[in-house]
Amino acid sequence: MKIESGRSRAYKIVSVIILVVLAFLFTFPLYWIVTGAFKNGADINATKPIWVPTEWVMNNFDKLMKQRSVPLWEVYLPFGSFFNGGKKVLLTAGPEAPGAIRWLINAVLMCVAAMLLTCLTAAMAGYALAKKRFNGRAILFSLIVCAMALPKQVILIPLLKEMSALHLYDSLWAVIFPTVGWPFGVFLMKQFSESIPGEILEATRIDGASELKTFTTVVMPMIKPGIGALAIFTFINCWNDYFMQLVMLASGSNFTIPLGIATLQAETSIDNGLLMAGATLAAAPIIIVFLIFQKYFTQGITMGAVKG
Amino acid sequence: MKKLLALVLAMTMVMALVACGGNNDSQGSTPAQDQQQTEPNTPDTPEPAAGGGELTLWTYPIGDWGKEEKVKAITDAFTADTGIAVKVEYLAYADGDDKVNSAITAKSAPDLIMEGPERLVTNWGDKGYLVDLSDMFDDTDRGEINAAAMTACTHPNGSVYEYPLVVTAHCMAVNLDAFKEAGADQYLDLENHTWTTENFIKAVDALYAHFNAPVGAVFCKGQGGDQGTRALVNNLYGGTFATASHDQYTWDDPKNIQALEQLKSMPGIAFDASLEGGDEIKVFYQGILKMAFCWNIAQQLNPNQADTGAGLTASGEEIVFMGFPSESGKPALQGGIWGFGIFDNGDQAKIDNAKTFIKWMCDSEHTVDAVKTANYFAARSSAEGTDLSGIWADNEIMNQYQVLMPYLGDYYQVTKGWAGARTEWWTMLQKVGEGADIAETVATYAANANANAG
Amino acid sequence: MARQSKPTMSRALQRRENISGYLFLLPSLIFFIGFVVIPMIICIVTSLTDANMHDQSMFGNFIGFSNFTKLMADETFLEALKNTFIIVIVSVPTVCAFSLWVSSAIYKLSGPVLSAFRCIFYLPVVTGSVAVTVVWKWMYDNYTGIFNHVLKGAGLIDQNINWLGDSRYALWCIILILFTTSVGQPIVLYVSALGNVDQTLVEAAEVDGANSFQVFWQVKWAQMMPTTLYILVITTINSFQCFALIQLLTKGGAGTNTVMYHIYWTAFKLTEQAGHFGYANAMGVVLAIFIGLLSALQFKLAKEK
Repeated sequence: MKIESGRSRAYKIVSVIILVVLAFLFTFPLYWIVTGAFKNGADINATKPIWVPTEWVMNNFDKLMKQRSVPLWEVYLPFGSFFNGGKKVLLTAGPEAPGAIRWLINAVLMCVAAMLLTCLTAAMAGYALAKKRFNGRAILFSLIVCAMALPKQVILIPLLKEMSALHLYDSLWAVIFPTVGWPFGVFLMKQFSESIPGEILEATRIDGASELKTFTTVVMPMIKPGIGALAIFTFINCWNDYFMQLVMLASGSNFTIPLGIATLQAETSIDNGLLMAGATLAAAPIIIVFLIFQKYFTQGITMGAVKG
Repeated sequence: MKKLLALVLAMTMVMALVACGGNNDSQGSTPAQDQQQTEPNTPDTPEPAAGGGELTLWTYPIGDWGKEEKVKAITDAFTADTGIAVKVEYLAYADGDDKVNSAITAKSAPDLIMEGPERLVTNWGDKGYLVDLSDMFDDTDRGEINAAAMTACTHPNGSVYEYPLVVTAHCMAVNLDAFKEAGADQYLDLENHTWTTENFIKAVDALYAHFNAPVGAVFCKGQGGDQGTRALVNNLYGGTFATASHDQYTWDDPKNIQALEQLKSMPGIAFDASLEGGDEIKVFYQGILKMAFCWNIAQQLNPNQADTGAGLTASGEEIVFMGFPSESGKPALQGGIWGFGIFDNGDQAKIDNAKTFIKWMCDSEHTVDAVKTANYFAARSSAEGTDLSGIWADNEIMNQYQVLMPYLGDYYQVTKGWAGARTEWWTMLQKVGEGADIAETVATYAANANANAG
Repeated sequence: MARQSKPTMSRALQRRENISGYLFLLPSLIFFIGFVVIPMIICIVTSLTDANMHDQSMFGNFIGFSNFTKLMADETFLEALKNTFIIVIVSVPTVCAFSLWVSSAIYKLSGPVLSAFRCIFYLPVVTGSVAVTVVWKWMYDNYTGIFNHVLKGAGLIDQNINWLGDSRYALWCIILILFTTSVGQPIVLYVSALGNVDQTLVEAAEVDGANSFQVFWQVKWAQMMPTTLYILVITTINSFQCFALIQLLTKGGAGTNTVMYHIYWTAFKLTEQAGHFGYANAMGVVLAIFIGLLSALQFKLAKEK
């Protein structure tokens, strides 16, 4: 190692200072959300910002829980109405619960469903695109690449009409299905599957394993980190896909927590304390998911990307 | 291993499937689908008495018709009475229109909608989405209902697309304690709740000199609460917004330009494109702005978020409602008319139920409760023998507010091309706020509005 | 890359590959075609018609390219298009440069510290777009926001700045939020890319007398090229997804309209132009064409490297 010159040392000190300042700035919004959620009315409405709440109260959460009351649990079978004489198939309905709780449940279940469907379909498709030499592969792949950056607003109207025709409008499925259809996952999984050595696949085939068996016993374990990354990625993306939730979900019992918070914000003279309480609820699950899977995520995502 | 994986996957899929709730009350393309739907066993909802069926009502925040606990009380009473269940969704002015329009596109419009003629008559009614309610009005009804409200709810083609429930006059509000502190309360006529343009200017200047920050905001982020900015500009020098025949916009009137120039020149008035009406009220409650242009009686009666009580700011300062300042001191106030419309989803049973609902709310002994829920004045003098003129007799503020009702001006919100004109209006205010040439900007945007109208 | 495909596969083998390939693709294709490709095709077709909300039919009357000619003269749309590109052109390079700098500053730090920094920069992403937007709205607030308070306290400004209501600032305020929610993943990627740089090459360059700047650009940067391209792609995607920021903060006012928001506006806002689906879809097509070109460009760059 070379001896550090004074200049590079000074640069290091400066950069550490800048980093610390930046770290502070990046954490501040979250700090502001959480403290705001526990501030009392006077602190929230103060004309000068109150940096640390003078007292920590649950008041805002109480108010949030009083906002709407909807059934806690409703079960809706997609496409059920086509087999049931046009009637929607609604299996059960639970007791009344505060809207925010239902929205939280909705959001988590929506993201989990989208995550599972995406991981499964994308892993299969990515493997096929990377390792199968079928006709039309190049065209299909370029189609997928082109569609990746497409904002959903572009297909807003046709999608809405389609959901209406499929009787999926105002159900979480209307958000889940387009998320699964978004081809980024396929792209990511293709990048991962490229690294599977062809020799191993060949060997399994010679051993007489079926295609499906090869996929589940050889391919899946090898791309597991990638699937982990994609899972978290899809979860976050689906959670943050405010636009689809806004357009597709109409009734208060089907809102997700981000949409619910946005709706509360839109209503007149709503207070920041309530909003911050909602934002805290909206942020908590995805931060928890991220922290739990953090390591998996950083490993997985970097592995996929480095292979161009 | 493989089996285990498959099992886990299958289970999670089923769970996810089971967990994703859908609604059981969308209508439209298959209107009959949810009629036979078994009612969810929710303990809070009273058991249907007879008749049955379910209605969806989407309501904008019209007084307490935006508050679940109040609305639930009255819809539960209705359900107990008629056996028709009502599922209510609460819209916000900020994005309610978009929600209704996307629901229409998805063929899932609600059965009932509660708003004013500017949306129900000039928009959804005009486009043919609503049911003509004219068969619900007999001569007695027409006699009882406020004539201006009746006219506003009637489309030029003769159809009535809204059954009016309540009316009010929109006004403004001042923070009386702040006015006193700045010595500006001398400019207010607190008895009649009116003031002149001259006094308004003096008061704003005095407030600005005292607080050294803008004390009133011409908010223009969007259309929310824009009746306030329109009334302010129109009243200052007696300009008009639209012709009396409601076929053209007249806000390029030199009097309005003069008013805008006056407002722009005052340091105490900010043109603020980050606020809508609702935001303005919030800032006013916080005591930062000393006057609010987006105000009415329901707001006056509404306790603020800090729970210091009705008619007070968050720090407990007294709020007084005022008419808009005008040269003569006699303002022309913007009316507010709200009532119900019925979306035509092609299901006669639902339409009949919805009519039952309207009749129950707007023309029966229950009308008192429906009106009181809105915190406004009844749109009619009496309903099926119940006198409605004195329902607020025990409410002092409501009684005081009566002094403003004679100043109710023309209900021009039914002018053709209204929705587009509002957009032009706040966009114009944004441009004026940014410092664009006022006369030119006003002319351009008024012309745009008229192009829509024509 | 182990590419064992023979130039001429036997027909039987090709058929087998076709069948198994498409079977593996099938679940994904159902969703992709059903909820992306078909709507896109409908979008393209209706952009040539006068389809609108009030007609019950999916397609209105064919009117050729008149939606597009009208768009080219629509000032609101052109402004929205301009803003969209400002957002992308500003945010993509700054996100890349910033995350590269942060990563190079933190990648040698010890494990827990590095991990803490990575988490911190990722926080805005996982806080969720709506929660982030709601809190920034409060922070930007003209009257009670902390920005005005801090700047005033520091004596940098003497009148409150109307951050989201002033067209001089609003778009930049939105880009700033977008920026904080975009740098998380690039930093993670760059940190690991820097860690994976082949040290023998670095040492060789140092022996040759290259200074640290030269080492960085000529050795490390070159090795991180695939990562950079990937970051470009995801940041571009991200920048086009900033709908929530616009809808919840400014509603397209104060010079912050974007094509994404304007499509929604044209489709559903209660104006006389509302519900003009053909026109809104034409905007979508224009946007899609621009995005397609951008993606093609990026992937062409990727191929060349």
